[in-house]
Amino acid sequence: MENKFSIKDLITVGVFTALYFVVTFIVACLGFIPVFMAFMPLIGPIFNGIPLMLYFSKIKHFGMITITSIIIAILMFLTGHPYPIFIFCIGAGLITEFVLRAGKYESIRNCVIGSATFSLWLLGMVIAFFFGFRDAYFASLVDGYGQAYVDKMMSLTPTWMFFAMIVMCLVGGTIGGLFGAKVLKKHFKKAGMA
Amino acid sequence: MEIGLQSNLSRDLFHLDPRTKLAILITVGIIMMSGKYTGVEYVLRLICVAVPFLLLISIRLFRSAFIYVLLMYSTVLCEGFIIPHTKGMINLMIMIICGVISRFGPGYLCGWYVVKSTSVSEFITAMERMHFPNIITIPMSVMFRYFPTLKEDYSSIHDAMKMREIGKKIKNPFTYIEYILVPVMMSTVRIANDLSAASLSKGLGVNRTRTHICKIGLRFIDYILIISMVVMLVTFYVF
Repeated sequence: MENKFSIKDLITVGVFTALYFVVTFIVACLGFIPVFMAFMPLIGPIFNGIPLMLYFSKIKHFGMITITSIIIAILMFLTGHPYPIFIFCIGAGLITEFVLRAGKYESIRNCVIGSATFSLWLLGMVIAFFFGFRDAYFASLVDGYGQAYVDKMMSLTPTWMFFAMIVMCLVGGTIGGLFGAKVLKKHFKKAGMA
Repeated sequence: MEIGLQSNLSRDLFHLDPRTKLAILITVGIIMMSGKYTGVEYVLRLICVAVPFLLLISIRLFRSAFIYVLLMYSTVLCEGFIIPHTKGMINLMIMIICGVISRFGPGYLCGWYVVKSTSVSEFITAMERMHFPNIITIPMSVMFRYFPTLKEDYSSIHDAMKMREIGKKIKNPFTYIEYILVPVMMSTVRIANDLSAASLSKGLGVNRTRTHICKIGLRFIDYILIISMVVMLVTFYVF
């Protein structure tokens, strides 16, 4: 295994981040319907698991996941999410980095765990509903989305929901990871692409 | 081939610096995503909605520009004048439909404009001028190059499925996702290999300062646009 971080890795990062971002974006569009918003941390990672597992199988060097998470944070910030997204994205990226490293970038078990931990960045998208951000955020939403929408969202997101969302992320990520591993085995291992 | 990042510069009505485009993208994104429907912010929204229209006109995409402007203004006016007069379920329905269109529409089209009108070398040069590290710039330029390809791949896969009469029969959503995603992922892997071969031949792997053939620079129009974007953002945050 070559130890140097090469230009090839950067290109792999770019292509797979694009794929991941598109899948996330499509799922996030469903988030406008209040019920889906609450369950997005569960649904999102399940769909994302497949491209993510293929990406993990391509990773051979330390730092690639972190770059992916930084790029996702920048793009999410550009599309109007509040700043805590940076903390969550980069944090989730680093955790995943160490999980994969523990498996020497080869263990499938670690990839599945990594898929679960990486999906924690989705919490950055919903953090505005909770804790110190909550009141100010909902007050700003009243004018933008109307009282009916805000009431609906408020009833769906009590504080315990945040912890439920952490669990949802992990469960969704694990399911997505397992599903992705199955797809990889079925389609890519035989073709020699994974 | 009409793929993004390979624009024909001579056809453009006016040409902007990538940094100006970035400023526009950020401003429109922030104001459209989190703006309110009342007072000063509503006026700002109306201005922001017009921005992608002018940008699309400037790269001669007249048809898209007019479809866009009709759709957007009906949505935004609907938000401003119809929504306050409705209640309950109808309000929620209109809210969600208008919300998706008005929040994502302008930002998406600005992004489309940036991808259509900026060449990869321009983008990389501008990022280097702003002292962005290479490890972020290269993946991002690959991403911009890849988005249009992804769209093309998707429509080809869709056609292929139609031809074999698969698609309508699939009831299990997971099977459907598998049928779409696996070919897309196959092509992703292939493109990654192709691009890394291409980058080697372009000397990206050499650890030396690269020179640039394209000319970028802030001109009068860029300064005006950047200043007006900053003014808009400041107004947005102050009020």
